[in-house]
Amino acid sequence: MDVLRRNNVTVTGDPQGPAVVLAHGFGCDQNLWRLTAPALAEAHRVVLFDYVGAGRSDLSAFREERYRDLAGYAQDAVEVCRALDLRDAVFVGHSVSAMIGVLAARQAPEHIGALVMVAPSPRYVDDVGYRGGFSAEDVDELLASLESNYLGWSSAMAPVIMGNPERPELGRELTNSFCATDPDMARVFARTTFLSDSRSDLASVRVPTLVLECAHDAIAPREVGAFVHAAIPGSELVTLDATGHCPQLSAPEATSAAILEFLARRR
Amino acid sequence: MSPLAITTRDTATGPVLHVAGDLDHGTADELRALAAALPLRAGQRLVLDLSRLRFCDSSGLTALLAARNLALAARADIALAAVPVRTLRTIRLVGLDRVFALYPDTAAALTA
Amino acid sequence: MMCGTGHEPEPGGAGGTDAVFAALLEDSAEELYETAPCGYLSTLMDGTIAKVNATLLGWLGLTRDEVVGRMRFADLLTVGGRLYHETHFAPLLRMQGSVGGIALELRTGEGGRLPVLVSSAVKRGGDGEPLLIRTTVFDARDRHAYEQELLRRRQEAEQARRQAETDRGRLQEALAVLQRSLLPAALPTVPGLEAVAHYHTASPDQLGGDFYDLFPLGGGRWAFFLGDVCGKGPKAAAVTSLTRYTLHAAALHDPDPVAVLTTLNTVLLERYSAGDPRFCTAVVGTLEAEPGGDRFTVRLASGGHPPALVLRANGDCDFLPTPGGVLVGVLPDPTFTPAATTLSPGDALLLYTDGLTEARIGPERALYGEEALQEFAAGYAGASPRALVEALTGLLDGFGDGLDDDTALLALGVPAPGAAADGPR
Repeated sequence: MDVLRRNNVTVTGDPQGPAVVLAHGFGCDQNLWRLTAPALAEAHRVVLFDYVGAGRSDLSAFREERYRDLAGYAQDAVEVCRALDLRDAVFVGHSVSAMIGVLAARQAPEHIGALVMVAPSPRYVDDVGYRGGFSAEDVDELLASLESNYLGWSSAMAPVIMGNPERPELGRELTNSFCATDPDMARVFARTTFLSDSRSDLASVRVPTLVLECAHDAIAPREVGAFVHAAIPGSELVTLDATGHCPQLSAPEATSAAILEFLARRR
Repeated sequence: MSPLAITTRDTATGPVLHVAGDLDHGTADELRALAAALPLRAGQRLVLDLSRLRFCDSSGLTALLAARNLALAARADIALAAVPVRTLRTIRLVGLDRVFALYPDTAAALTA
Repeated sequence: MMCGTGHEPEPGGAGGTDAVFAALLEDSAEELYETAPCGYLSTLMDGTIAKVNATLLGWLGLTRDEVVGRMRFADLLTVGGRLYHETHFAPLLRMQGSVGGIALELRTGEGGRLPVLVSSAVKRGGDGEPLLIRTTVFDARDRHAYEQELLRRRQEAEQARRQAETDRGRLQEALAVLQRSLLPAALPTVPGLEAVAHYHTASPDQLGGDFYDLFPLGGGRWAFFLGDVCGKGPKAAAVTSLTRYTLHAAALHDPDPVAVLTTLNTVLLERYSAGDPRFCTAVVGTLEAEPGGDRFTVRLASGGHPPALVLRANGDCDFLPTPGGVLVGVLPDPTFTPAATTLSPGDALLLYTDGLTEARIGPERALYGEEALQEFAAGYAGASPRALVEALTGLLDGFGDGLDDDTALLALGVPAPGAAADGPR
């Protein structure tokens, strides 16, 4: 199976530049990076992809046994890096994808040289001495509502994205697949994401890491950002003055600026 | 697979059933039901015209035998006319050629 | 408008009518907003609620003071909705400037949930700067109920399907058990003889009507039979069962093959009525080792059954004809044709049911036929019964869906000089 096709890999930017891989989290696909990728592409080789089960990936490659574990998604990431023979790439992961990046970097240190975590969370459910932001009941309710509301999720999510007047450069080639995903596979990804616990993996990170958190994020509250920063040796923490869980959409300039600044210091 | 189609004709000597199509496990009951509903009188002859019979298996044979039993019970006669080659072979093999009167066509069966 | 009663029309004519309507309606923008049949909400770009109408407050079970300036839109949603809002709704709204018809659930007063449809649009200032989000909320209880019903039906159908699968599995299992009970578990070992049998089912869902057996009569004699009850399914299986036991008992009483078939004929005639005739074809016979030698005498009789094949060590392969025999269970005074032969070392006798010869082969679905069988078997004359039966099994498998009847095979052979019979002595 051709990995580049399976994971709907898109490569833009300067082919000679250092590689930056942008990885989406639960609930969306590579379109999430639409507003930030252009800025990064100016001086870098930007790689975007969809995990199997999301976006325009090859849904026929979906296997529940593989993708009900974060390791399955990490395998996707490693295979994409391998297929493009990336060296010393910076892996930018959003939300749970930041944890997937941790696993991928450990598995393939020859491909991944640094991590950027955007609104990361290693565990969403509260624990003794740990505030993840969701109670166990919350997550049960979430998973149950995914189950019962999937008709709503799937039917609502095939919108036509018209040109954004603020971003004329995005033009007409905006696709209508934004966040369209197979509801059954989304459910698997949701379960995997919200029942995961990657806290113990953080200490094993050996590469330079930037943690980008949002000032007001209901899904990854400030305590979580602080936790991640403290757990990863030598990491940096930048708090974006942004609301919500997707700063790359709600505050795209600040997000790309923070990432570019980190990338520049690596040279 | 041809479905079974049976047409009934009344003659001076008795009813003639023209049996066409496949007489098998799925369709044999139709022939039995039809034969059972015929108003056969003593001394009449029931003729089964098999010229357009395409297939007959053991269930088909059962139906023919059931029709024979019905005729006998009514003290009537039974005859098979224009039996196709393959079915004739089977009938001979299992010895039913000494059980049924066989005729090359309906006309012969009616005048015999 | 009142008419037909003789009253005077309303004063003022057309202009007066408008005024009356206006007075009745008492419309003001304020009232339209507050009491609209849907919920209205305006928030800042970060979600903080700036304005909300009475309808929505009513649904939420909250007061204006509790909401305006204090809660964000996402706070009104269930956990799942909040997540959805963060990952889908808000980004889409950012990128498109509007989203429409998104299904979410609001949390209501006493811990309840209200399914709603939400549409939002960004309002921009003169310079294009986004200022606030205007949201309309529609009660979607009916639609939600409809969706739930659809889902419920889908789950029921799925469950029924799974139940049907299980039931079907159990039925097949039961049929298989029954089927096995109609055949001997294993053939006995006959000293100096090799006996091999095979039953090939055409359809796993239907009990077939073929039967066979081999058993001792005592005094060094053995009896065998093989046959085909007409029809399929449970009724035919009952006839098969009766037939087997009758043949068995009759042979023990008087092993003469013609007598055995006559007894079976009587039993079937007595047992089954004219309206539901049941009959079978069968070959019945005995085997006896010749004293002091290595040859077996075979005596058999056939009731309407296809002729057995005799394979010789020298390569000959011929039918053992039994013409004139009639189906068993049809006539009150039947004829059953006897025949006999001797099997020497390297010889074998093959009995089969017509599932084999009646198989349809080739694009024209022609019958395989007895001549083809003879030609095929001739290739195994002098070979062991096991080799012959295995080859025939392969042939049957190759017929695929050209086979629409079960087939039973029974091969009885005297091992060639130097070759040992199969199985322990």
